[in-house]
Amino acid sequence: MARALVTGNHAAGYALSVAGEANRQARGCAAGAYPITPQTEIIEYLRSFAFTKGYIVPVESEHSAMGVCIGASLAGARAMTASSANGLAYMNENVFAAGYYRLPIIMIAVNRTLGPPWNIWVDQGDSLSLRDAAWMQFYTESHQDLVDTILVAFRVAEDHRVLLPALVALDGFVVSHTQMVVDLPEQQLVDRYLPPCHVPHQVSYEHPVTVGGLTWPRETEHHRIEVQRAMEQVPQVLSEATEEFVKVFGRRPHTALSCEYTEDAEVVLIACNTMVRTLRNVVKERRAKGEKIGLIKEKLFRPFPRAELRAALKNVKKVGVLDRNHSPGSGGIFWQEVTTSLQGHSDVLVQDYLVGLGGGDVTPAIINDIIDDLYRRKQAAEPVWKEVVA
Amino acid sequence: MMEMTIFGRGGQGGVTLAKLIATTYFREGKYVQAFGVYAAERSGAPLQAFVRIDDEEITNHNQIREPDHVVVIDRTLIGRHIASGLKPAGWIILNTPDAPAAFAEMFPGRQVATVDATEIAVANGLGTKAVPIVNTTMLGAIARILGLPVEQVEGALSYAKFGGPNLKAARQAAQAVRMQTLKGRAAAVAPGAPKGPVAGILDDVVGGMPTIRTGSWASRRPERQRFTPPCNHGCPAGNDVRGFLEAVARDQDYTKALEIILQTSPLPGICGRVCPAPCMEACNRSDYDEAVNIREVERYIADHGRWPEATPPTRKERIAVVGSGPAGLSATYHLARLGYPVTLIEAGDELGGVLRTGIPTYRLPRDVLGREINHIVRHGVEVQTGRRVGRADLLELSHSFAAVFVATGQQENRALNLQNLEPGVVEQGIDFLDRVRKGQESLKGAHVVVVGGGNTAMDAARSARRIGAASVRILYRRTRQEMPAIAEEVEEAIEEGIELQELVLPVRLTKDSLGAVLTCQRMKLGEPDESGRRRPVPDESEDAWFDVRCDRVLLALGQVSDLTILPEGSAVHEKDKESALLGWTGAPVFTGGDLVTNEGTVTAAIGSGRRAAWHIHRTLTGEDLFPEEGPPVAEPRILHMHIFEHAPRERPAMLRPEDRRTSFREVRLGFIDEPAHHAALLEAQRCFSCGVCNECDRCLTHCPEGILLRERDGYRFDYDYCKGCGVCSTQCPRGVIYMAEL
Repeated sequence: MARALVTGNHAAGYALSVAGEANRQARGCAAGAYPITPQTEIIEYLRSFAFTKGYIVPVESEHSAMGVCIGASLAGARAMTASSANGLAYMNENVFAAGYYRLPIIMIAVNRTLGPPWNIWVDQGDSLSLRDAAWMQFYTESHQDLVDTILVAFRVAEDHRVLLPALVALDGFVVSHTQMVVDLPEQQLVDRYLPPCHVPHQVSYEHPVTVGGLTWPRETEHHRIEVQRAMEQVPQVLSEATEEFVKVFGRRPHTALSCEYTEDAEVVLIACNTMVRTLRNVVKERRAKGEKIGLIKEKLFRPFPRAELRAALKNVKKVGVLDRNHSPGSGGIFWQEVTTSLQGHSDVLVQDYLVGLGGGDVTPAIINDIIDDLYRRKQAAEPVWKEVVA
Repeated sequence: MMEMTIFGRGGQGGVTLAKLIATTYFREGKYVQAFGVYAAERSGAPLQAFVRIDDEEITNHNQIREPDHVVVIDRTLIGRHIASGLKPAGWIILNTPDAPAAFAEMFPGRQVATVDATEIAVANGLGTKAVPIVNTTMLGAIARILGLPVEQVEGALSYAKFGGPNLKAARQAAQAVRMQTLKGRAAAVAPGAPKGPVAGILDDVVGGMPTIRTGSWASRRPERQRFTPPCNHGCPAGNDVRGFLEAVARDQDYTKALEIILQTSPLPGICGRVCPAPCMEACNRSDYDEAVNIREVERYIADHGRWPEATPPTRKERIAVVGSGPAGLSATYHLARLGYPVTLIEAGDELGGVLRTGIPTYRLPRDVLGREINHIVRHGVEVQTGRRVGRADLLELSHSFAAVFVATGQQENRALNLQNLEPGVVEQGIDFLDRVRKGQESLKGAHVVVVGGGNTAMDAARSARRIGAASVRILYRRTRQEMPAIAEEVEEAIEEGIELQELVLPVRLTKDSLGAVLTCQRMKLGEPDESGRRRPVPDESEDAWFDVRCDRVLLALGQVSDLTILPEGSAVHEKDKESALLGWTGAPVFTGGDLVTNEGTVTAAIGSGRRAAWHIHRTLTGEDLFPEEGPPVAEPRILHMHIFEHAPRERPAMLRPEDRRTSFREVRLGFIDEPAHHAALLEAQRCFSCGVCNECDRCLTHCPEGILLRERDGYRFDYDYCKGCGVCSTQCPRGVIYMAEL
């Protein structure tokens, strides 16, 4: 392992590059590249990497960037790209196409507020708007989590039990532009970890087919069920990929969800991305004072690990969900998933807190406020807006 | 954990400084974190960068609110607020020329360190004087305060690939930093909180122009300047070359373009055919691909623009012009346009002087000459042809006219001593050309030698070819490169089968039983003479002599002025070429053209004639029409040529060489319009408009701030919001916009 001092974007670019390079004995790799703040450095990194067999194709829009990935993946290449915010919105049509074509593309989403008005700071509304696109979604809390998750995502996505694209999200600026110490795995270890990518429905001269023609309702319904079945395979495949990761790299990455201090906890908070790290520090402090409080780091958002969540919250009295996103007319999107998971299984109080939207700095003080509020609550209410100052 | 906050402005390298500090500690095995809080503005906006250093893994991703130390890299940001949350023992590290004590009132009880990082950075060539990059310099000062050995800083700088000047600046700053604990008690500074209510989405301030006057961040601002285009500067006639090209390029308005030329020159169709085009020699485009074909565009304008109506005289003072060559015609035209009744006196039968007698019709058709002379004459000019003016006549003219202009050109031909000169063989080329013009010559089957390298030599040679010479050979004592003739003429002569022999001097003409023999000596090039051309010196070797058999020798060695028309003892000074002659009893007499300037081109004569007209006008009325000295010439280095697209020069249609040898039809046919290929327009559009704004809008469309406004006479910068990024300046292809330091 090479210990490096790099930005989150640099770390993501590195992980994509070594994963792409690892497929050099097979069909190589390809990426459609189009810049947008705050992810641009990722595709810049890809473009500067000396691939043995790889093409980084600059295009005129995100829609085409995903188009390149779709074509490359259909041709058997390990395909990847990165985008953010309005770029993801513009890419939307092809994001769905990639999902329903069952192409194991990996996309890095550097979370950024969707405008207008113009805002470049972190907010998960952009990637969560793609939750129904038949993609896996991973949310990462740190540089190391990001690198590890990208490698795991390739392995899970390309597993024939799954064959779905995966989106790996990180916080814009807070991770993307922050320089931190991270272990960047060497190429030879990645070569060991990632088997050659084989897309079973790969097109070729020997096997000419038409992709994406008309299907009837009956067939479409069947395909939807197939996607759902594939999604249901993810926890098992992810678990295997994680164990294999430990064997190759000697380090245990975060899994679908991480339960911390939950065994005897009466109050549990759920969060993702860097908010988890702040939350973790606060929980540690409160634990030290004897409070029965725990946290769940939600990394896998699609498929949503309902069963694991139910098990983790079995004896908990109150749950607070921190959402750095907002579905207008409803509330936090993670909160919706949590309540749906518990519906009919538990009487636990679940309260949503909308916090850090548009990039506000979520400080320990704010999280302490939220915990105090949760302690006081007798019953759940509509999602609470927790405004931040900066 | 050690936490540090850095205050700077976008583009100054504050975030990089945070990363460099982190790198220094990372290399010592520490856990580190460096990040910036970016503003939406890309340059100039105040921003903060943060550094955390710890022995443990860092899990805090929040902005730093209680730093151990603060650093300010931009002195305009120094204020009480930067000490907000600063721990009591923390350092305030400032980039400023002031000593720490200067901040006694602002930061009482604090540890303050100051260093003039800007000066050190500028001295080491880091950034520019307008935007110095001070981060690596500040790193040296910070390291000294944090007790980091300078080797560690140098190691980090090298690791991050920062070069020598950065290391040197860091070392100097570590030496220069001044540290002091200020007297008094440190007071807590409350953190600044966002002020005022938050605007709703329907509020018109949301997403609009920022209410902060971002222009106050600028250290430079764009301003506009004007240069003299090199073509204009190089035109002896004084034409606004760029101006007439623009009239074509923008609007295809040939009438307007013609009007622009007619401001300065009455002979555009002539210059568009015979001018050696110093403008094209000066054209900056030749540094990029090929000079703009200005001569052909001028010709096209003269042939396609609508000529304006002539104006009648309005003044009483009658003026005599002696000589109707280009200088006399130009003076006549400009005086007539100023309202003077002019009498134009010509020794020959027809007006035009050397334009008619010296330039063959295949280069200058008579209808073009007629059109342009007639346009001048229509301004109420009285023409007297066939009147040769001598010294006595001049005296008489000076008594009957308010002023006299003498431009009789160069009438004396330079001769060559060929010793036993055979009569009927040697002749002056200029006389030959006049006889050819009159149809009095035939050289059928003759072998002709022309001596000289100017336009007359080319004209004589090509005319000889046209009237049946079996062979024509030009002998020139220097090389083709030194020839004063227009390069294209030399080329065309060669195309017509004329032989050019360089480095040859005819010495002696003899005759034997078979005819005339010209004995020649070979030459070689020696040191440059006063004209800058290398002087030919005789080759003294034995085989340097050879004979040329010929029937006719035409001399074209140039002419000299015949000053006998002028009053005895009058001297013509080089510096004062068109000035009045002093000590004369009658009205002022002015001279100009080749008679005094010896410049030898139509364009120079046009300029001389116009200046003479202005001199006369100033003498008679006191009104000064001479323009003030223009701005400096636009040199290639002020342009951003890479912005232009390469485009080949448009070339005129030509008569085929085989059709030229027997005919006096015009050789160069000018631009021929084809469907979807309008050569004159394409050629005019190749003009860079060096140093003069032609409202191309590139600055407007490239301004990232949208602060450029189009106005009736160009553009206006909204300095309230211009941050001085300089994009408009780097995007101005013409070098008009420059960045002025504030």
